[in-house]
Amino acid sequence: MRDRLLTRWRGILLSLVGIVAIIWLAVTGQLGLYIHPRYYEFTVIMAVLAGVVVLAAFAIVPTATEADHDHGDADHDGHEHHDHAPDDHAPAPGDHEHAADVAAGDLGAAVPPPPPGRRRDLVWAGLAGVVILGTVGALLIVPPSTLTTATVDQRDLNASAAVTDTGATETLVGSDTSAFTIKDWASLLRQGAGEDYFAGKTATLTGFVTPDPTDPDDVFYVARFVVTCCAVDAQPVGVPVYLPGWQDSYAVDSWVEASGSFGTNPSTASSQPIVFEPADITPVDQPAEPYVY
Amino acid sequence: MTSDVLPPRTRAPRSRTALRGLVVGAVLAVALLVLRAVSATWGADALPDRIRDFVTLSVSVVIESLPFVFLGILISVVVRFWVPDHVIHRIMPTNPALRRVVISLVGVLLPVCECGNVPLARGFMMKGFSVPEAMTFLLAAPILNPVTIVTTYQAFGWNDGILIGRIAGGFVIANLVGWLFSRHPRPELLLTPAFEEACRIGDGDHGHEHGRAGQLAKLRRGVVAFADETSTMLPALIVGSAIAGAIQVGLSRDVLTALGSNPIWSVLALMLLAFVIAICSNVDAFFILAFGSTFLPGGVVAFLVFGAMVDVKMITLLRTTFTTGALVRLVAVVALASLALGFGVNLLA
Repeated sequence: MRDRLLTRWRGILLSLVGIVAIIWLAVTGQLGLYIHPRYYEFTVIMAVLAGVVVLAAFAIVPTATEADHDHGDADHDGHEHHDHAPDDHAPAPGDHEHAADVAAGDLGAAVPPPPPGRRRDLVWAGLAGVVILGTVGALLIVPPSTLTTATVDQRDLNASAAVTDTGATETLVGSDTSAFTIKDWASLLRQGAGEDYFAGKTATLTGFVTPDPTDPDDVFYVARFVVTCCAVDAQPVGVPVYLPGWQDSYAVDSWVEASGSFGTNPSTASSQPIVFEPADITPVDQPAEPYVY
Repeated sequence: MTSDVLPPRTRAPRSRTALRGLVVGAVLAVALLVLRAVSATWGADALPDRIRDFVTLSVSVVIESLPFVFLGILISVVVRFWVPDHVIHRIMPTNPALRRVVISLVGVLLPVCECGNVPLARGFMMKGFSVPEAMTFLLAAPILNPVTIVTTYQAFGWNDGILIGRIAGGFVIANLVGWLFSRHPRPELLLTPAFEEACRIGDGDHGHEHGRAGQLAKLRRGVVAFADETSTMLPALIVGSAIAGAIQVGLSRDVLTALGSNPIWSVLALMLLAFVIAICSNVDAFFILAFGSTFLPGGVVAFLVFGAMVDVKMITLLRTTFTTGALVRLVAVVALASLALGFGVNLLA
């Protein structure tokens, strides 16, 4: 009985940690670090609903009686172990003795002697503790943050999201460039819109600094992550900027705003034919919505 | 707090214990909020980039999935305690194969993400669904639901048979798996002992609670059931998210995308990608659309079918309910069928 009640708190605590994390991110406007805006309302509504139930659980679970959980009108013996470790990974032979012992302990109010299945339970309780502490650490202690260049390296810059489809790029070619995002410019570069198209075009780009893998000394990208669902599917896109010795002025992963025009890439090592030629680069703070969609 | 948990030996009135619990909960919530507000000012730069990205990726899976899991648990609790058994029995056909066909369409009414379907399937089984029926539901609902179908259509239209392949493939595979497992002589052995026990005890509406007192008792039981289900689901969700995050940090995606243009490898590579990336079936079409020009349509269909049914996060969630042996067989059948589907689409397209 006691085991089971302790077990039950695991879900309540984990729920509470998750709900607090979501509410805080929503209130401080940082949900966008993790999920696509289309989920904001749903996520907040479910967090509030679950929060109400979790608070109710704090009131009800301490006084929960048999009638409240096992719903059984009969059959009160021998089933007590059913949720001592619901994520039971390896049902051990000791399980049944343990069930009997807990059931016995249930009848007598005194503390039962440690039964054989006890050690396994302790191990599971310990693991549950690790999961709870890890969750608190990841959700409530590590400060929220965007993805870094480490992930850009894993995910091939401009490999995918920029190349959505040629139809979209054709629409881009004819439209007003002042509203273009890094994603739009990256699509055009990727689709090979050509030097004629870029001649005379100016742009202002805001993104984080990440080195060009083919010529890291002379070229860096002003980059953003494109997110379709949540940060786990983020795809890096970026516009290459030619600026020898850029490392001296701009740190990798720092945010900059660059304005200028496009031109042929003077770098022979870089794989990019066209680069952004900045007239001005200023360091800026990370924007409230660091990802593009 | 543990003193609240112990049997009410003190004989304190229930209402006072309840009030005390409520205060403890509220104080704890405020304390966690303060912790979060304080720690947020520390700056994440102290952590190495890879660790930082691992945390960000894992947390994003948790924040994305948690609302769906809450929704699934809440619907499951409502179905268990407030939908009378006879209502379900009356609308369901008696022929087992027909029942599974109907069950594979239930997702149309309950469009939640696949991670929310696990608690829901547990609720259905407690309500008397058989194990193969629950499996059919779990595999079909993420694909045969309006949100998934609409987003897949928006992403691909009628091109290359991707939409048709996904809908038809999902339906056939879900019913195939249901049929295969229905041949099992004792399907209850496919469940973890803990969950099987919980089902056997029976649950929910016994038809003897009426009036306000009965409703209150149901509410109390519903809240306790929520606590029990979150205790089962959330540790699994968190471990699954951490694995998904770790794989993302460790595995270079170039390797997978490089394989994309080969008729055979594109199917395998995209199934592997679907398995490790673990995103919801509602939006996976947009994600894979970004790769559209790199991958062959068969690979895309395999991604959309296999990934909606099975992924690393789903495996940890399903493990709360099914034995390892059952899951190995389930994944093997789904993987082989998705492979065949992917190759078939590549042949035709």
